Amino acid sequence: MADVGGVARAGGLGRLERFPLRRIVLVALSAGVLCAVVYGSYKTLTLPEGQAYSASAWRDFIVLGIAQGAVYALIALGYTLVYGILRMINFAHGEVFMAGAFGSYFFADAWKQSGFMDDQPWLSVALLVLLAMAVSLTVAVLLERIAYRPLRGAPRLVPLITAIGASLFLQNTFRGLFGSQTRGYPKPTGLEGTWSILGIPVQKVQVLVLVVAAVAMVALTLFVARTKTGKSMRAAAEDAEIASLMGINVDRVIVTTFVIGGMLAGIAGVLFALTFGNISYFMGFAPGITAFTAAVLGGIGSISGAAIGGLTIGLLQSVGPALLLTGINVPSPFQLKDVVTFLILILVLLFRPGGILGTGEAEKV
Amino acid sequence: MTSLLEVEGVVKHFGGLYALGGLDLYVNEGEIVSVIGPNGAGKSTLFNVTTGLYPPDEGDIRFQGTSLVGLRPNQITKLGIARTFQNVHLFPNMTVLENAMVGQHCRTRSGVFGAILQLPSTRREEQRIRERAKQALGFFGPRLTGYRQDQPAFVLSYANRRRLEMARALATDPKVILLDEPTAGMNPRETLELRDHIVRMRDDLGLTVLVIEHDMRVVKGVSDRVIACDYGRKIAEGTYDEVANDAQVIEAYLGTKAAG
Amino acid sequence: MGAPIRRGLKAGVIGGLVLVYLAMVGMIAKFDELVLIGTQLTLGLVLLALPPLVAALAAARPRVVGGRIERLGPLEGLAAGVAAGAVSGGVIAAWLVVVDAIGFDRVRSVFVAVSPVLVDVLTFGRGIAAGAVILIVGGAAFGALGGVWRSIRFGLRRPVAIGVGVVLLMAMLQRIVPTILDELNIERDWLYSKVTRGLTWLGAAIVFVVATALAALWLDRRERAAAAPTVEGGRPDTRAIARSIGVVAIVAAAIVLPQLAGSIVSEILGTVGVYVLLALGLNIVTGYAGMLHLGFSAFFLIGAYASALLTGANLVTAFGLVAPRFSAELNFYVSLLIVIVIGAIVGALLAAPVLRLRGDYLAIVTLAFAQIAVILATSNWLQPITGGPQGLRDVTDAPLFGISFQNPRNFYYLVLFFCVIAVYVSWRLAWSRTGRAWNAMREDEQVADAMGVNTSRYKLLGFAIGGAIGAVGGALFSVKVGTVQPGSFEILVSITVLAVVILGGLGSVPGVVVGALVLLGLPGLLSQLEEYRLLIYGGALVAIMILRPQGLIPNVRRSRELQEEERTQDAWQEIFAQKEQAAAEQADAATAAATVEESS
Repeated sequence: MADVGGVARAGGLGRLERFPLRRIVLVALSAGVLCAVVYGSYKTLTLPEGQAYSASAWRDFIVLGIAQGAVYALIALGYTLVYGILRMINFAHGEVFMAGAFGSYFFADAWKQSGFMDDQPWLSVALLVLLAMAVSLTVAVLLERIAYRPLRGAPRLVPLITAIGASLFLQNTFRGLFGSQTRGYPKPTGLEGTWSILGIPVQKVQVLVLVVAAVAMVALTLFVARTKTGKSMRAAAEDAEIASLMGINVDRVIVTTFVIGGMLAGIAGVLFALTFGNISYFMGFAPGITAFTAAVLGGIGSISGAAIGGLTIGLLQSVGPALLLTGINVPSPFQLKDVVTFLILILVLLFRPGGILGTGEAEKV
Repeated sequence: MTSLLEVEGVVKHFGGLYALGGLDLYVNEGEIVSVIGPNGAGKSTLFNVTTGLYPPDEGDIRFQGTSLVGLRPNQITKLGIARTFQNVHLFPNMTVLENAMVGQHCRTRSGVFGAILQLPSTRREEQRIRERAKQALGFFGPRLTGYRQDQPAFVLSYANRRRLEMARALATDPKVILLDEPTAGMNPRETLELRDHIVRMRDDLGLTVLVIEHDMRVVKGVSDRVIACDYGRKIAEGTYDEVANDAQVIEAYLGTKAAG
Repeated sequence: MGAPIRRGLKAGVIGGLVLVYLAMVGMIAKFDELVLIGTQLTLGLVLLALPPLVAALAAARPRVVGGRIERLGPLEGLAAGVAAGAVSGGVIAAWLVVVDAIGFDRVRSVFVAVSPVLVDVLTFGRGIAAGAVILIVGGAAFGALGGVWRSIRFGLRRPVAIGVGVVLLMAMLQRIVPTILDELNIERDWLYSKVTRGLTWLGAAIVFVVATALAALWLDRRERAAAAPTVEGGRPDTRAIARSIGVVAIVAAAIVLPQLAGSIVSEILGTVGVYVLLALGLNIVTGYAGMLHLGFSAFFLIGAYASALLTGANLVTAFGLVAPRFSAELNFYVSLLIVIVIGAIVGALLAAPVLRLRGDYLAIVTLAFAQIAVILATSNWLQPITGGPQGLRDVTDAPLFGISFQNPRNFYYLVLFFCVIAVYVSWRLAWSRTGRAWNAMREDEQVADAMGVNTSRYKLLGFAIGGAIGAVGGALFSVKVGTVQPGSFEILVSITVLAVVILGGLGSVPGVVVGALVLLGLPGLLSQLEEYRLLIYGGALVAIMILRPQGLIPNVRRSRELQEEERTQDAWQEIFAQKEQAAAEQADAATAAATVEESS
């Protein structure tokens, strides 16, 4: 054991190993994306008369984008709040959203048939929102209690896998309980048609969506900034361990987080169902991922980030495919709207993993 | 003659906190250099910057004249700098022997196809890795060998985990080994034993050693040269006696002017 | 006596709620269609009995109080168990009464599974009142069994449990075993009923007795072997021989099985084989290298489409079959090589830009990639190549020496061949320098990097190898089905594969195979299970992560840990203590000597 020969074989590095491959790939990628965006938009906007979209079509895209963006923002808040405190991606949050829409459906259906919904459109929508909040909240709290709480402090991927399992479980539970068919979600007749806002005709439902979402956001912001519970949430998000040493009941804070996330998802569920008109047990998946993208885009963990991210994604989804793809002769560009979302997700994670507003996390050694 | 390892004006800050504020130091071949200083003096950050875990904000680090700035940790290890961590970081579910075998990774080259086809060269190399890993474990006498080398690392006692971490570093065939508080949490007898091991790393293995240490008996017993740091700067340098009697060092530890 | 009963009540309420859930989600009624034993005992009834039993087991389990393990005596256990079981039964009975009061049809207009069949099963066809009494009494009976279970001697209760398990397994295999027996010309009417297809009571009893006796014998031998002093180097040899015999037996069984069990079984095993390939690929990425990959269906898709296009499949259009805009007419086996390369390159390319991301973000990005792949394959834009939603037809049957592999039995052998190769590759890699690097990376990425493992490179390598294996799975799948449609490559495929790998045990090759057999083979055999397949996967993923993160068949490393904990740890600790003691004395003596020397 005397001679190990430690000095003998330590070799030098090849020239290749210093080559900044990653940086070159990133730069090339960003240049390519930029070119594609500019070229696609240019081609679309210079299409000959008759093939091009009219100004009112663009306006409708934008309004729809903002409305669905508001829904995404509400769901995104659920991801962001939970991530802020538990540092986990609550993959099952899309199902919490679905549960709210589903739970309120049966009442909406009954009220539509009894005529209550058409007589009292505002009251019935308000009640539906409350019911959806209650259902989503229950699901979210059960999820936390049964699936996530036993895993506190487990390695990061364990809760994520659990969340995926829970998502599958919830989806199929709703399928088993209520059947697998897609159902039409009734809309009060009072909410059909459009209002004219600043001379622009806007669908009444979309106005409702925007107003409710804005109220919910403001309420949440005030809650987190002003109340004692809100402050302990922020403390726990900074450092759960220290917060618990300071006398904050972290378990309670986490439950509160899930309660709030669940309520917002419930609101989003009703708004989504009113906007798009139908629901199914599988409806949570795509909006869930989209909202997660929104949360990441805005900077996961940040409340205003979720709002901005949601609106951005909503707009990009409704305007992007038409703007970028029509000009280069891609048939049915809106089939590819989720591709837009996912590409944004990937690009954001590549170039700015902290999101637009986020600061990014330092890894600990 | 240039030194083996040179740290020149390295600055590293986390937000507003300066962990390293323009640190200079050098280590000559065959030396044992101790870095001392109160908690938060930036000693571990020095190691992390040197081994590439963080990039330095300013300054340069050179090893045998090559700059290490911008290299990945695995490249720096391949160049011949091995390290241990302040809070022991083993691969807990791998066996003791496998932990040490990972150390040989950067000195070997067999790949996927060799493994699938069981090429003779791959099998020979695997055998060599095993031998070399056992040799590295054997540096600490019987403590890590025998039946213990097939146990998962997490069953080891605290002191043995530290030893295994050092053995794993030795298994990378380094020229310089950086030890971050190697005796932390060891009892006095184990500490003394380790002191001898550090000296043997130089005398028997021909390594250069840079060690962060709090235990002054160890520092006194092993160091050719002692460097004292505070607030990310070098405040004193010299033999153990010189540094131990330096007014600034005493002040840094006691935090008052009383020592003067 | 109060505390155990209180525990029992609590567990019973949970058990009862689980029962209500199982009833409302439709599982009990659906599973009642599957007769296991005689004419009466159905899987639905087994499902009905399980919650009280498990609740009672949980209520009577030993627990740690103030640092000491507190076990319940037989009487206390009985009390807790009866309470748990009776309450479980009571909850479901109460639910039944309430639903009856509201009116079954009204409930059914919302909860579609509350059917007359369900009521019939829950009341045993005897009306609500009698049914409620039976539920409570039956629950109490199973609760009593669960309550006293732990008071039974281990040497008795373990073989009995194994015996019951074997009987249930045999009953579940009712589509395979009778066919095999027929094929072998073995009289089987005493074992399996021709009418219900389930076991006969006589057959069940015989199977139970034989299985219990064998289990008792085996346990006894194992215990003695454990108690006997281990001879250095002696035992691993016999173990290695036993293991190779086992491997040969399994391979032989795998080769013979489809000859005996008929083409439905071959068909199912073909699907299982494709999933084994996918799961082995994912196992390298997730099990070995520790990167959660949620988009494995992307490789499946790419492999299937690439192979179909390279071997001259046609598009389905409104005007009949058309050649796609891009295609080649290669031999399947030549194209397979290209597919492997494509899978590896795509795998690495997908991963390359996102390697520095933290694990959970990486997982979401892989999911996004898979979704993009499906959307693109479905889109009108790529329709001239991929065929859009209708996909591609006329996929090659991979002819080799004039043998077509589209028939289930031949396909089974084809997929078996590739599975064996993939198992071999996985196994070789696990114990190689590469496998060690992956392992180190999985345990602690930063430290692995600091110890000289080029983590980016090994991540890419993991993705590339996993992608190549997954793409082979896709190519074979396209041969099996004969068509390629985007609907076959949805995200659920990814999650199914993930469930297989996790249920089997991350990093464990045999686990992956068993996981695929259980998760895809059983639902394939029993259509009643198929409907609740995804529900069960979801529940299983959650349960495994919480209760048994190492999976059904943990990898060798993990099981080694467990064995150590079980038996040898104590012995070794003693040795430890002695050695440390000796070393301490030696060191003390040395220092003493040194002091003496110094002072002299």
